[in-house]
Amino acid sequence: MDMETNYEIASTADFIHSQNFTRAALQFPDNLLKDSTRIVRALRAKLRSIRDSDGEHNGDSKDVGLFIMADTTYGSCCVDEVGASRINADCVIHYGHTCLSPTSKLPAFFVFGKASISISKCVENLSKHALTSAKRILVLYGLEYAYAIPHIREALREASTYCVSGTNLEINFSSVICTVINPSEDHKSIHGRAGGCTANESFDKVAGTRYTIGGLNWNIPEGHKMEDYLLFWIGSDNSAFANVVLTFNGCEIVRYDATEDCLVTDVSQQLRILKRRYYLVEKAKDANIIGILVGTLGVAGYLNMIHQMKELITRAGKKAYTLVMGRPNPAKLANFPECDVFINVSCAQTALLDSKEFYSPVITPFEAMLAFNRGSQWTGAYVMEFRDLISYFPAEVRDQSEEARFSFIKGGYVEDFDQPETVNGEEDKEGALALANATEKALKLCDGNLNSVIKGTAKSGAEFYLGRSYHGLEINGDSSPEPFMIGRSGKASGYEDEKSKQES
Amino acid sequence: MVKFTAEELRRIMDYKHNIRNMSVIAHVDHGKSTLTDSLVAAAGIIAQEVAGDVRMTDTRADEAERGITIKSTGISLFYEMTDESLKSYKGERNGNEYLINLIDSPGHVDFSSEVTAALRITDGALVVVDCVEGVCVQTETVLRQALGERIRPVLTVNKMDRCFLELQVDGEEAYQTFQRVIENANVIMATYEDPLLGDVQVYPEKGTVAFSAGLHGWAFTLTNFAKMYASKFGVDESKMMERLWGENYFDPATKKWTSKNTGTATCKRGFVQFCYEPIKQIINTCMNDQKDKLWPMLQKLGVTMKSDEKDLMGKALMKRVMQTWLPASSALLEMMIFHLPSPSTAQRYRVENLYEGPLDDQYANAIRNCDPDGPLMLYVSKMIPASDKGRFFAFGRVFSGRVSTGLKVRIMGPNFVPGEKKDLYVKSVQRTVIWMGKKQETVEDVPCGNTVALVGLDQYITKNATLTNEKEVDAHPIRAMKFSVSPVVRVAVQCKVASDLPKLVEGLKRLAKSDPMVVCTIEESGEHIVAGAGELHLEICLKDLQDDFMGGAEIIKSDPVVSFRETVLEKSCRTVMSKSPNKHNRLYMEARPLEEGLAEAIDDGRIGPRDDPKARSKILSEEFGWDKDLAKKIWCFGPETTGPNMVVDMCKGVQYLNEIKDSVVAGFQWASKEGALAEENMRGICFEVCDVVLHADAIHRGGGQVIPTARRVIYASQITAKPRLLEPVYLVEIQAPEQALGGIYSVLNQKRGHVFEEIQRPGTPLYNIKAYLPVIESFGFSSTLRAATSGQAFPQCVFDHWDMMSSDPLEAGSQASVLVADIRKRKGLKEQMTPLSEFEDKL
Repeated sequence: MDMETNYEIASTADFIHSQNFTRAALQFPDNLLKDSTRIVRALRAKLRSIRDSDGEHNGDSKDVGLFIMADTTYGSCCVDEVGASRINADCVIHYGHTCLSPTSKLPAFFVFGKASISISKCVENLSKHALTSAKRILVLYGLEYAYAIPHIREALREASTYCVSGTNLEINFSSVICTVINPSEDHKSIHGRAGGCTANESFDKVAGTRYTIGGLNWNIPEGHKMEDYLLFWIGSDNSAFANVVLTFNGCEIVRYDATEDCLVTDVSQQLRILKRRYYLVEKAKDANIIGILVGTLGVAGYLNMIHQMKELITRAGKKAYTLVMGRPNPAKLANFPECDVFINVSCAQTALLDSKEFYSPVITPFEAMLAFNRGSQWTGAYVMEFRDLISYFPAEVRDQSEEARFSFIKGGYVEDFDQPETVNGEEDKEGALALANATEKALKLCDGNLNSVIKGTAKSGAEFYLGRSYHGLEINGDSSPEPFMIGRSGKASGYEDEKSKQES
Repeated sequence: MVKFTAEELRRIMDYKHNIRNMSVIAHVDHGKSTLTDSLVAAAGIIAQEVAGDVRMTDTRADEAERGITIKSTGISLFYEMTDESLKSYKGERNGNEYLINLIDSPGHVDFSSEVTAALRITDGALVVVDCVEGVCVQTETVLRQALGERIRPVLTVNKMDRCFLELQVDGEEAYQTFQRVIENANVIMATYEDPLLGDVQVYPEKGTVAFSAGLHGWAFTLTNFAKMYASKFGVDESKMMERLWGENYFDPATKKWTSKNTGTATCKRGFVQFCYEPIKQIINTCMNDQKDKLWPMLQKLGVTMKSDEKDLMGKALMKRVMQTWLPASSALLEMMIFHLPSPSTAQRYRVENLYEGPLDDQYANAIRNCDPDGPLMLYVSKMIPASDKGRFFAFGRVFSGRVSTGLKVRIMGPNFVPGEKKDLYVKSVQRTVIWMGKKQETVEDVPCGNTVALVGLDQYITKNATLTNEKEVDAHPIRAMKFSVSPVVRVAVQCKVASDLPKLVEGLKRLAKSDPMVVCTIEESGEHIVAGAGELHLEICLKDLQDDFMGGAEIIKSDPVVSFRETVLEKSCRTVMSKSPNKHNRLYMEARPLEEGLAEAIDDGRIGPRDDPKARSKILSEEFGWDKDLAKKIWCFGPETTGPNMVVDMCKGVQYLNEIKDSVVAGFQWASKEGALAEENMRGICFEVCDVVLHADAIHRGGGQVIPTARRVIYASQITAKPRLLEPVYLVEIQAPEQALGGIYSVLNQKRGHVFEEIQRPGTPLYNIKAYLPVIESFGFSSTLRAATSGQAFPQCVFDHWDMMSSDPLEAGSQASVLVADIRKRKGLKEQMTPLSEFEDKL
């Protein structure tokens, strides 16, 4: 496959030209940087030729500025709007794997790239599997295979006409939302979660439930549940797939690996991840200090999410710190040993960090909501994307049973700090207990034990640092401070106290 | 049975001198529950309106089925002493009416946490010992616990009927057996003696030992017989008692007492002559249906039988006669009333054990004096599931003050620290309840010295708590209970239907509450774990979980899982080094095994992070041969800051070292919790920090650089020091007749167990075998054993120690490496261990 088609030079040029963009930022992940200069060259040539063909009246306009941006400090799947605005770009062309998260400021055009796939073999596998399964089949795929889907569809139709028995074959395909994201449009779709799709819209307007995940969307007719479908994933075992498995953990899922040409039916590893996430939620419930990691500066609604998280944490009587550190790694996070857990606010596909290497676990905003919202329960449902999250917990369900929280980590009931205070609030005020409470809060002697160095005992960063054995420079309390002396003043050629010598 | 109204019962509760709180403790199958039943049948308090149709023994279905007690049950007894029998009672009393709060506890070692909970709220204990089997492991365990709680014991030698019917031993032989049983018990009691409690040994001649046959419902103390004979011989009752035990012989021919057997045929030991022989005679006459002989004998003893009872034959007749002649209830109850302390007596010396705070504050004084008008001090020892699903009664003992319906109480949980708000609630008691038989009766209030159940606090109490008045902000809690068993056996549970997960979570919470010992946790892999003291305990817990706490929703349980420990065999073969992520800092470390016994000393809390450094270095240098200076350089213990591993600073003259100490400690806590082999806890490893090279800029040697590096270097030093797995090992005690020994040995061999002691119980055909058995092999052990010995052997397993597995987990294909791979697989880790090269860096 040549570069022209692989990188969709023509349509990219068309996009830039038709919207009259003058400065376009080209965002490449590290692994595609090697192709970047060639792409720019081809793109520039293409743009010039387009302009020449219909450029009678504005022939004097400048060339479109094309800028190559290397990988972002966050996930390479998201559009790096901050990087783009640094060069004052008015649009972003994103190459390679993407999560298709909505952008907040700039329009973006996505070039997924085209991975090679043997259509016949894929169809063969798909139809074979479809025959053995009693469930309806829903085909999902990695975006790099999006270009091949119409062909697969076609081939499948042909195959089923040959095959007599294959009449009851029911295979649904999901479609790509769009290759262009306009921030203004998508703001609407954040609030009304259905709708707001621009390109490639091939769905009939049937009543039903609409699902969107990782840039794919599909409709399910009314009366059907996701559990009735068998998900057939075409693509590699990447974060997008993990995302699908986690979100639709109730469904049967089969993966067709196009590079290996084999079917993988065992997704237990992914389900294991789900169980581990459950453990992390339980663990987060015990946390007192929470670090909010800003894992994106591009995905629409991230600021809302951070505010929401902060509010959630304060309401749960815990302490939150917001940290901006680019892509998190164990060494960076271990610089904040006081945090018992980190919330990674980022796009759906980079949010999942396997936290075995991390000193403190890293969880997603959804998991944080489960953990810090008292009364909410892990049901198995899993939500990754911000806009779904906002709708997932519609109104604050404050089911205040007042019961002490059971910690599965410690294996017993534990008291959440500050919790009883807010609960007891009203009854305390009237009683004489108010005074007693006040005295309790008065200064108390802390024994200088090492305890708060151990995770989970300190209630704030300050307290944690107080518990450390090292408090900065050694100040020997027993030696009295040196008496102060008046220092020299004047110029080096002759200090004031030396003046007399000079004169003499 | 005694019919009472709640008001009448409540009235006696105010007489604090006339209350006895006591528990019945013994080895499994020594007849506690049977004995208790006979007491209850005679003196149990039941509500007036339900009299007649209540069965006291009506316990859990599974208890009846297995024939063992699982949960401890509290029962109140009422006994009215006669003036005559009280005339020698020296203590304080209000009238002749006595209230006895009796708690029957399980004997199986798996449930000994129930015993612990029972002991805390009682002042005296009736120790039941089988006269044939004698003092067993569990007898010793519970006795030790009781004395640790300053509980005064009295003893009853039970199953006397076996002597007469089964073994048919003659008087002297029986005396020797009883004497030995009592002596054995006394040896234990003397070992754990406590100056404040005074002499706790038991003496038949002082009336603190009873002889009972629980099954037949009769019992006697020497007091009974002494009374009978005192007038006949015209001597003082106490004098007579002394003659009835020990080296006192009587020859009816000469009518003389001697302190030696004179050797004539008629000269017999006082006990045999006056106690054993008459009973034997009566029993034999009954069993042989020689009624013509029986009636005159009974008349002489002053026993009158009802006419319909006279028609009974054989065993039934014998039972009836014995029950009438020597009723178990009066013998035992009188013994308890006489020799066990009342709450006000007991709390005088128990306060030191109970109260955590200063012993001269008002709360300590109120407990000491059992002051009903003092501040409330109430200890909740266990939670009892109520009949309406999901609710619990908080069951406990009022040590001072009184608790009443509607009272606002301060609930201090086990993690409460005086002066802080942690684990502290202020709530109202909805109802105070006392048990009358199976029925709960609400009462207005309950004064100190009594046991009580509270409604409406279950949401705030996990397992136990101290309750006091709302305004008593400076009260300290009552000391937490110490359990003798630990939850070593674990299973993973999950629900069959995924959507039942909330039910499972709720069920596990309730299970954790209902049992003092069970621990419900979650594994790193996200599996729910239920941990119990033994196989049987777990089985019962899971049954409760499914049937009672989850409303029958089905659960799947995994095979039992045993947790291992990771340790090292020798010192690291070289000093290992790891570099920080930025390559600017280097940590050098070595691992070595801790000296033998040191890990146990840390477990017992003899050595710990809060020690005075001087005292610690003294123990370490004197007992474990440490260098005195080195002992001062212990950085920390771990995991959880108290575990049996440590980091020791061996560096000399390293700059900034104190700056990274906290980071190294944090890395160590992390690593010692999840060892390099299979992420099991480490045990018995000492990590020596040999050298440290640090970057000159503080920012480049921060936690982010040092914590992960410390973890890596700890792993590297562990791997280079010949890592080994430790497995938990049970101490098994089995009692069986000789013919079963072969079966026992073969089962033990097959299960990797080894016998280290085999003693024949003197005077019995029984053998006592002690063996070590790996916990992992113990699943199904008791059923296999039962099958191999046709039900003659019944093991008691108690966690004893950690045992090193000799095979090398790093060697492919070895037993330990297979085990490691299994554990890793279960935990969802990579099956292959992370190689050393991942942890160790080269210069």
